[in-house]
Amino acid sequence: MSAAESGNLPDRVRFTRDGIRRGFLTAQPLAVSVLLYGAVFGVLAGESGLGLWHAALMSLLIYSGSAQLTALQIGVTTALLPQLIAAVVLLNARYLLFGAALRPWLSWVRPWQAYATLFFNGDTSWALSMKRYAGGERDAGFVFGSGAAMFAPWLVGTLIGHQAASWVPDPKALGLDFMLAGFAGAIGVGAWRGRVDLAPAIAAAVTSIICWRWLPSGWHIVGAGVAGALVAAWRYPSAEIGSEAD
Amino acid sequence: MPDLDFLLTIGALALVAYGCRVGGYLMMRFVRATPRVQAALAAVPLAAMIGIVTPTMMSGRIPEAAGLVMVAIVMRLTGSELAAAVAGTAVVALGRHWGF
Repeated sequence: MSAAESGNLPDRVRFTRDGIRRGFLTAQPLAVSVLLYGAVFGVLAGESGLGLWHAALMSLLIYSGSAQLTALQIGVTTALLPQLIAAVVLLNARYLLFGAALRPWLSWVRPWQAYATLFFNGDTSWALSMKRYAGGERDAGFVFGSGAAMFAPWLVGTLIGHQAASWVPDPKALGLDFMLAGFAGAIGVGAWRGRVDLAPAIAAAVTSIICWRWLPSGWHIVGAGVAGALVAAWRYPSAEIGSEAD
Repeated sequence: MPDLDFLLTIGALALVAYGCRVGGYLMMRFVRATPRVQAALAAVPLAAMIGIVTPTMMSGRIPEAAGLVMVAIVMRLTGSELAAAVAGTAVVALGRHWGF
């Protein structure tokens, strides 16, 4: 805040209506997949016996597909709260990394703008925003807009999926459970900057496989992110020389 | 309407989920964003996506492996995440349909 108050904004960071609009529109292709993913959750919630409003409230307040799907498997009741909380922390620990990565961007806007942006922050809209940040985008409204663009599709998808639970017999036959991995793979291919990414990517893959094999569900994503970050930091001065990375 | 037990459970999980979203951001207040830290953070998106894909890769099933290859090809050709994910999903659905 101190630097923001002194008016010394680094790299023209700002939070404008235009940025929100641009983020919202740019994220629309992602919104289609979020709608589908929300529908998958809705179908599974309906099949597990949750009512329409129960499913809708989960999507409205928790707003995290992986956490909600896991909560369905455990059972949504206070008697199971310790397991549920542990699972949500495990599955959402990656947001610690995502939020930390947004720090250079969001720390220069007003607190309520930063905290509202963080609520809407999702995997794909975050990755989209970070790609734009690397490309020179400095309007934090873009992060808010691209995240908020996921909210209505997630909720509407949940409602549609719950209603459709009776007539979509097998979401797996349509490959819908592959959608998240498909998007993550596409974003990963798009995020590839060149040789500078090779060592962190190898470290991420190896760590992820080890965590996935021997640790509770969810840690493999955190492990991959931490390993990639550590290797990038370790190799920092030499790896940046002669590469196009920003 | 949802009962109190359900609302309490959902409320707690919502707080935990939002806590994760805000927690990493708050932690960075105590860590200076040096160029080395920036380089570390810049490596996180690709690394995290690799993490998300890992279980699918390690499942060793043919439709999923073919789906990921299709995702990479279409992403390289079109630069569209949606087109890549949909093409990959179609490959998975077809692969399962044919009983692989």
